Amino acid sequence: MTNSIPEIRDTDFMLVIGSNTSEAHPIIAMEMKQAVRRGAKLAVADPRAIWMSSIADWHLQIEAGSDVWLLNALAHVIIAEGLEDKEWIAENTEGFAAVKETVASYTPEKAEEVTGVPADMIREVARAYATTRKAGIYYTLGITEHTTGTDNVYALSNLVLMTGHLGGPSMGMNPLRGQNNVQGANDSGATPVFYPGYQWAKDEEVRAKFSAAWGVEQPDVPGLNLNEMMKKVGTQIKGMYLMGEDIVMSEPNVGRLEKALNDIEFMVVQDIFLNESCRYADVVLPAAAFAEKDGVFTNTDRRVQRVRKAIEPPGQARADWEIILDVMDRSGYENPPYEGIADIYAEMASLAPKFAGISHERIEDDGLQWPVHTMDAPSTIYLHKGGVLRGKGLFQAVEYRAPFEQADPEYPLVLSTGRTLYHYNAATQTRRVDGLTEKQPEAFIEIHPRTARVLSVDDGAMVDVVTRRGRVRCRAMVSRQVKRNTIWMPFHFAEARANLLTTDAGDAVTGTGEYKVCAARIEPVDDPDVRNVFPGSYQTPVELTAKQ
Amino acid sequence: MSEQTLTINGVSIDHRPGETILEAARRLDIDIPTLCHDDRIEPVAACRICLVEVEGSRLMQPSCHSKTQPDMVITTESQRVSRNRQFSLSLHMADTVSDRTIAEDANPNRLFELADIHGTAGLWPHVDSPRQGRPMDVNRFIHFREDRCIGCALCTRYCDEIEGVTAITLAHRGALTTISTADELSLTDTTCELCGGCIAVCPTGAMTEKAALAYGKPEKELEKIRTTCNFCGVGCQLDLNVDRDANRIVKVTPPPPGTTVNDGNLCVKGRFANDFIHHKDRLTEPLVRDADGVLRPTSWDEALDRVVEGLQGVVTRHGPHSLGFVSSSRCTGEENYLFQKMSRAAFGTHNVHQCAAT
Ligand code: SF4
Ligand code: SF4
Repeated sequence: MTNSIPEIRDTDFMLVIGSNTSEAHPIIAMEMKQAVRRGAKLAVADPRAIWMSSIADWHLQIEAGSDVWLLNALAHVIIAEGLEDKEWIAENTEGFAAVKETVASYTPEKAEEVTGVPADMIREVARAYATTRKAGIYYTLGITEHTTGTDNVYALSNLVLMTGHLGGPSMGMNPLRGQNNVQGANDSGATPVFYPGYQWAKDEEVRAKFSAAWGVEQPDVPGLNLNEMMKKVGTQIKGMYLMGEDIVMSEPNVGRLEKALNDIEFMVVQDIFLNESCRYADVVLPAAAFAEKDGVFTNTDRRVQRVRKAIEPPGQARADWEIILDVMDRSGYENPPYEGIADIYAEMASLAPKFAGISHERIEDDGLQWPVHTMDAPSTIYLHKGGVLRGKGLFQAVEYRAPFEQADPEYPLVLSTGRTLYHYNAATQTRRVDGLTEKQPEAFIEIHPRTARVLSVDDGAMVDVVTRRGRVRCRAMVSRQVKRNTIWMPFHFAEARANLLTTDAGDAVTGTGEYKVCAARIEPVDDPDVRNVFPGSYQTPVELTAKQ
Repeated sequence: MSEQTLTINGVSIDHRPGETILEAARRLDIDIPTLCHDDRIEPVAACRICLVEVEGSRLMQPSCHSKTQPDMVITTESQRVSRNRQFSLSLHMADTVSDRTIAEDANPNRLFELADIHGTAGLWPHVDSPRQGRPMDVNRFIHFREDRCIGCALCTRYCDEIEGVTAITLAHRGALTTISTADELSLTDTTCELCGGCIAVCPTGAMTEKAALAYGKPEKELEKIRTTCNFCGVGCQLDLNVDRDANRIVKVTPPPPGTTVNDGNLCVKGRFANDFIHHKDRLTEPLVRDADGVLRPTSWDEALDRVVEGLQGVVTRHGPHSLGFVSSSRCTGEENYLFQKMSRAAFGTHNVHQCAAT
């Protein structure tokens, strides 16, 4: 996020796009509710009638995957009506002319045809956004989990740049990270393209710096991102080390991946539970849960906060960092003698200028929001104060591209996936909490009442959801939350894995899978007894059996 | 800038339009006790404990609700003020459980804490208030103990104003006033999102955590460890309430409002989804797969050797870039740092990525 969570309550306009905030980020939704109560305007762009849309001034119920059309049309209106901040653009940005040219053809009327959002609503929202000073954009995976994810983000940032909604309180461009430490894992360099602190791995000088610091010549072969890695499992990738990650639950088009995993020569899984991926593991290492270890998490507003050990891990389980240190040690790499976790943070901070001013000691009571360049510098509450970071903000003209897979006669519906309030990702944790399983015991698929009627599907009946990649059985939930041509299911459930269905077509830049859109059909299930087949109660899904 | 002022306990302070007496007093570090007030919620001036004297006004004024005026002269400590406080405390205490051990058997009890500081007007006979509970509410997280409720409505106001779902409401009148749901449904059958905010704001522990209640140790005997929630990216701060002797997390409570990014709030996951930590399915020993294809428990020593052998074997046969390292955004910053360092420095490949896609 360019801005901070506590600033939201003082904002005057919010565009929430591709974010089911009240379920995925409840506490941020609370801030938004408070802003609305104060009189802030709220525009929600989402294919589903999510809870937030019920308190919104505008619900832009777009066709899944048509985001670029909508965003370019908003830009079109802003420019056509002369609402852009010309002075700010001239001073702080580059490339506006190209965007102006591109969006010229994205008229609200044509946008209405593609996105399904009324042209007048697009105009109103564009005006409200452009003419409100404290106007922020908030988005999550609904924006990024597409083959056009990077385009979507560019189209959003064009809006921010042309209105100058940057560098002040309660505005900006605010991705809401899905997991507790997505930001922190990126910050730490757990990505093929960056060393810690967003220093490019392709930059020779950076590599030289880390070669010197770590005492090992750094490889100059570019790394694979997760999407590429998963596609090359069994071919290029012959050995894998998974730390706290259940790829068999969470990766798209997992059927193909599971076959490939059989061709892998060696795999380590390190986790707190036997997860689905353990079926392919040669070694399983028991790790400590968050309450059993020390360290830091960095939240979505760049806030580095302490994680503290409250209890001892069960049995012989150990903290992930202790395990990694042992593996490095035994593989012959000599780390400096760390006296504790604070020393490890200090090593990272010494190599990454953005965190140079952060230490465990400084965040003992309160977190710090990076960048913090020196030990006496304060938190950076919002970015780009007094001008865009690193010189000029770059406009990026983007054209609409259709999603990788579109509905056709054979697969006439658009399937989208997501999370619910009561569970979390692969749900290995939340499904072990009785009260939550009670509130939401099993997988379901949301189907519009009309679609359900056409297919003769009753509310609560079992159906098969079929895509080109797989078939999953779950319960139909007839609901007006979805549009007629769309179906939606949560991805938390091991016995009905949504990711058997999704495509692994990735974004060209980030490799993020297109979880949000694929073509599907619904097949009613006749068997009257079928209701008892999937009791939905949690069963430990993994046995200690042979590799499949 | 207007240079208008007012006076609290003889000290002069600038007048800020719209500010309440309570807020102005806080700027002077003057503590006025409150019971039914929470900064996040609109004041209702129901508990009468925050009454203060204002010169020229015959009645005392509720400081949480009354706005300051220029030239006001306010007294927050006097015989009259303290007599009223003690009287109000006695009144509330007569309406709830008066045995302190019982009253503090689970959550802290603000009534007794205030009585410690300000005293009471004596213990009055118990008011017979047959409030209705919801014994049939089968939700697993939140329990309402009607005998402790003092009807301050902090819970319903929180649910309405902050959580925004209005799952619970005040029902009945007078001494019968109680907290209920529509049609007395179980919370899980209402709009309730199980955020637990109603527990956090309740001053007397009438709203309480079912599991912790069953566990049986009062909150004051638990140790609070401040940490960061491990679910979504908001990074809420929370306190793990730990029973040291049993090495057990008994419950999770939010830090006080106004102190952290979550302003005293938590969602159902941060507050209640912690059973998994003590779950019987937790991995407790390293496992290795033998030639027969079965995973068997082993020592750390063997497991770590197998890891290093296995990874180095792949490197020998296919080169370093045939390894893939996948880390988790659920692990700490330091762990992710070490993990990519292991990939790059110990095994020589940039094939390292966190799984942030979902
Ligand atoms: S848990 Fe939250 S939503 Fe449920 S009744 Fe309490 S305050 Fe309301
Ligand atoms: S308590 Fe809820 S909103 Fe806060 S970080 Fe945890 S999961 Fe996110």
